[in-house]
Amino acid sequence: MGAIKNLLGIIDGFTELTGRLLAWLLVLLVINMFLVVLLRYGFDYGSTALQELSTYLHASAFMLGAAYTLRHNGHVRVDIFYQRYTARRRAWVDCIGVIVFLLPFCGYLLFYSVEFFLSSLAMREGSSEPGGLPALYLLKALIPLAAILLALQALAEFARSLRELLATTDKAQ
Amino acid sequence: MEFAPLLMFAVICIVLVQGYPVAFSLAGTAMIFAGIGIIAGHFDAGYMNALPDRIFGTIGNYTLIAVPLFVFMGTMLERSKVAEELLSGMAAVMGGVRGGLGVSVILVGMLLAASTGIVGATVVTMGLLSLPTMLKKGYDPALATGTICATGTLGQIIPPSIALVLLGDTLSSAYQEAQLQMAVVSPKTVSVGDLFVAALIPGLILVALYLSYVLVTAALRPERAPPADIAERPQLSTLLLQLVPPVALIITVLGSILMGVATPTEAASVGALGASLLALMRGELSVARLEEVGLSTLKTTSMVFMILIGATVFSLVFRGFGGDEQIHALFNAMPGGTTGAIAVVMVVIFLLGFILDFIEITFVVVPIVGPILLAMGVDPVWLGIMIAVNLQTSFLTPPFGFALFYLRGVAPASVATADIYRGVAPFVGMQLLLLLMLAQWPQLVTWLPALLK
Repeated sequence: MGAIKNLLGIIDGFTELTGRLLAWLLVLLVINMFLVVLLRYGFDYGSTALQELSTYLHASAFMLGAAYTLRHNGHVRVDIFYQRYTARRRAWVDCIGVIVFLLPFCGYLLFYSVEFFLSSLAMREGSSEPGGLPALYLLKALIPLAAILLALQALAEFARSLRELLATTDKAQ
Repeated sequence: MEFAPLLMFAVICIVLVQGYPVAFSLAGTAMIFAGIGIIAGHFDAGYMNALPDRIFGTIGNYTLIAVPLFVFMGTMLERSKVAEELLSGMAAVMGGVRGGLGVSVILVGMLLAASTGIVGATVVTMGLLSLPTMLKKGYDPALATGTICATGTLGQIIPPSIALVLLGDTLSSAYQEAQLQMAVVSPKTVSVGDLFVAALIPGLILVALYLSYVLVTAALRPERAPPADIAERPQLSTLLLQLVPPVALIITVLGSILMGVATPTEAASVGALGASLLALMRGELSVARLEEVGLSTLKTTSMVFMILIGATVFSLVFRGFGGDEQIHALFNAMPGGTTGAIAVVMVVIFLLGFILDFIEITFVVVPIVGPILLAMGVDPVWLGIMIAVNLQTSFLTPPFGFALFYLRGVAPASVATADIYRGVAPFVGMQLLLLLMLAQWPQLVTWLPALLK
């Protein structure tokens, strides 16, 4: 159990770190987007690179933030019944959910997006706009990367729910 | 396999009420269906290939950047207690009049519409801020809770709302698809800005209805909405100092979109930065606060987009099984033609509103029924506003309305659930009245966008 607990701590800590990093990307997004507006309306200057930077910041946040959101139970549930469940019953729902829905989804996402990313990387695909950022493959990398981060945190959540189930069984005996 | 699409809808409803996150339930359930279909030889696995491209479309969608920016603005206004002061300031001005407290709740709710796209969050915030005060001043619990629930859902329809950003974006793709099917030579577009402009008159009608209800009740039955004693009326100058900056910010953001000066995305960035400056002026901005707002925005944004991705998987599989053709055939066979089809869609959306929030319905239902209805000649902007008002009504309707659950959660035990139901009933009536008005006179929606174009 000790090793699992350590591993859990490591995954949680890692996800926490990504969350804080991404939070600052969103602050940057606000500033960058305002800069785009300021340049356009104040100085009549449109920068494709800055506009695309907004896309990069926004996309990194919402894709990679999925794991942090999972860690903090931020993904919306239909909680009409769930909120009245016992802790044990909730743990059951979450355990089954990870195995039946979440992990297969991450697998599917990873399986289909790796090729999508690699082919873009192989030709060093850049923006199709003149003056755009030269690294479109980074944007494509977000999909497999998000799948990996989400799967990792899903395993941690699974372990947590399982521990809840085992702990309550022990008490009942 | 003709029953597969119908079965998918039935199964997803059962799965969702178990309480596992909606985004993953949608994706996971669809994948199981696809898996069974592939094994049974009734599903073309090629459909599943389309996902990375679809997700990449969302990643590159410039309009949707407005979502985190508006969330950031709302969260910043909330965390730096601007909302709280706005409410207490307004209450101080108008509390002395019969029904004045109720009026200020409605007005602040209207101004803070931008804050959240999620019904629950708005109702909880408004409930925590204003319910205790209203009860303490002797308001009838039914009137107080009804006003708060209704005001909390107002944020869905009053621009700039995140719900309208999502709906506008989804409708715009649906409209492109519909015109492609009809082989329109020069396709027209519909934008988030159009929806914002169109929502203005219906939203204001609703606010006017709410206000008159509270005022008339207060006049006829003073004991239900008594005036508060004006013990400590604040200086007018302090009050203006509190009220003017946030109101000016919201008007700037909204005004620049409505006048067509800025796109919603651009205006949202001005709003987010402006809200941070307001916080700074009040000494409420620190590194820790920025990170806190960033983290909160991150969670909401990621939640929204994961639902979008989950819903994309769901509709891919739904189409793979021929679900859209079935719905198309169904709509064409509908008695009453287009009107009949719209009526059915509205009823279905209303019922779905009992278990799903605005975001899920926008992403799951609109891409499926939208192109079909639009191809039948329905005006996209009008359809969007009808959906928004319809959903808002659904959220208020006992016994399953979302808003009621959330308010129950924060209301003191002394308020009976029956009080809440009794309280929202007149507001549900006003909502239905608006829906009928919009159905009867579509110009209420289409007039202003046409004027400003």
